Amino acid sequence: MNSIKKFKVNLENLSSRERAIFKKLIRAAELIAGLYLKQKNKKYPGANFYPPNVSIEEIKKAARNNPSILNPYTFVERTKSGELKAIPYHIKFKKELKPISKFLEDAADLSEDKNFSLYLRSRAQSLLDGNYEKSEIIWLKTEPFKFGFVIGPIERYLDKLFFTKCAYQSWVGILDEEETEKAKEIKDIILTGRSKILDKSEKVDVSKVGIRVDKTAVFSGLIADCMFTGTNLPNDVRVMKKYGSKLTIFETSLKEKFDQDHLPIFQAVFDKKLQKRYSQKELYEGSLRCIISHELAHSLIRYRDAEKRLENLFPIFDELYAYILGIQRCGLAFLKGVFSQKELEAILIMHICRNFTWWLDLFKNADVYHYAAGAAIASNFFLQEGAIKIRGGISWPNFTKLFICIEELCKILDYYLAIGKYEEAEIFIKNYGSFDIFKYFSPQLKKFIK
Amino acid sequence: MNKIVTMTYHTPEKIYLTAAGLEKFKKEHKGLQKIRNSKIIDQEELIRLNKRIEELELIFKSYELIKVPPKNRQGIVGLGATVVVEIDGQVDEFTIVGTLEVEPSKNKISDKSPVGQALLGKKEGELIEIKTSIIHHKCRIIRINYQNE
Repeated sequence: MNSIKKFKVNLENLSSRERAIFKKLIRAAELIAGLYLKQKNKKYPGANFYPPNVSIEEIKKAARNNPSILNPYTFVERTKSGELKAIPYHIKFKKELKPISKFLEDAADLSEDKNFSLYLRSRAQSLLDGNYEKSEIIWLKTEPFKFGFVIGPIERYLDKLFFTKCAYQSWVGILDEEETEKAKEIKDIILTGRSKILDKSEKVDVSKVGIRVDKTAVFSGLIADCMFTGTNLPNDVRVMKKYGSKLTIFETSLKEKFDQDHLPIFQAVFDKKLQKRYSQKELYEGSLRCIISHELAHSLIRYRDAEKRLENLFPIFDELYAYILGIQRCGLAFLKGVFSQKELEAILIMHICRNFTWWLDLFKNADVYHYAAGAAIASNFFLQEGAIKIRGGISWPNFTKLFICIEELCKILDYYLAIGKYEEAEIFIKNYGSFDIFKYFSPQLKKFIK
Repeated sequence: MNKIVTMTYHTPEKIYLTAAGLEKFKKEHKGLQKIRNSKIIDQEELIRLNKRIEELELIFKSYELIKVPPKNRQGIVGLGATVVVEIDGQVDEFTIVGTLEVEPSKNKISDKSPVGQALLGKKEGELIEIKTSIIHHKCRIIRINYQNE
């Protein structure tokens, strides 16, 4: 696995200058995969970013005297004398980062969009000096660019021990204006209304939440391995609160996922009569709305201390809650007449199929464990409440019960993220997180298990 | 997604419009007529334009203006009312309009939607049930406002 994923995109509408910029960005993105692979520890997958022979307690102890040990942008190594030391990424990978930064500078020189040039130059600098926030703020504050481009140490899924350290990744895409407009409408609907959620969640300024749909050309680094279909950045709650957040929906990735996973899974596990009720287009729209509402919901559930409190369990709750709350919001949109009942059913069906997809993805990539664990929790919850029934596959989902489960799960997950303790969260996962539920479907799904 | 509701020519239903909605359609009609009379446009565009002008004229023939109810009836949800509700712990606010003025992203929802249907005729403070075959919700009406003329 070289951790680079390419998608076919139409470049016909790009000028020759834009094509030249595009090439530079692609080259920079491709190079970042090498750094991501160096952050991974193939021999000891749990020990990415850290020495293989280290314990959690030892890291915590070392971090008390030297907080940079748990800085999101440092690599931890053991010295000859046996102590742990932290090396900032921009120093450890200085040689490799120089040409990447140069590609960004070159693209900035070519760009006629001043804001985009400003962002690229700032990002180029940040890769070399480790001050990522400044360029992140420029990215958040400036208007949407023709190119969707993000590069740097961003997502934390590779840090299995503390969910703290950021793995390198990049993506390059081209803005799909038509789909972006549609997504903006959904945004305004999903983010309206004020939830009575528990105290500690951060209030979101909806006007500061941006959304774009991209025809993505390249994924590199962590995102290539995880094949995300959408993202909501920044991850830092403090920055998000002050400057807002930006959602990107990766249309090309979603289409591939839908064709290769969501739709075939639907055809494999659901009753044949039920399958006839929905067209492929309706199901695709369901899957798209699932991911849009999921990413939007992330903007509503930022809890300042949740990551520290729940540590490595945080992403399980965070990702699952975003899915569940997103669907709950789609339900409210249905009540307001925005979606038809069939459209809402398609969203629910695609959520179930996505749960299976995460489990199947886990066979290929252990880094999606958090998503798969969340998918197992939701699926077990649905099964226990009778919202799905297994008889040689899912015969017919009970949509009414599914929605009762969605409401119930919203309350439960909100509790854990807002005030729940680590030990309580651990028990909840133990009770509901068994992957056995998916194994019932192994006969139907064996062709997907690689 | 129910984005734009296009009228059919033989709709027997009444078309309810707010004064603002009517003004908007009149402006659109005027603009389209101007284009039709002054610009050279291709056949396809002309057909589309004529169709929309006909639609608008049909609206003008058959609409009924949503009037603000008298003060003593303003505590009851009717068309044109802006309602603040609490649905399962979530506070929401929207205006109930006829199908031609629906703009969910601007909180204008249809009187035919499940929420619209459940709210019409109900009073401030009332606890109502929104029942669909897929979702059941209890909802309390916190406030009802009408934009006075």
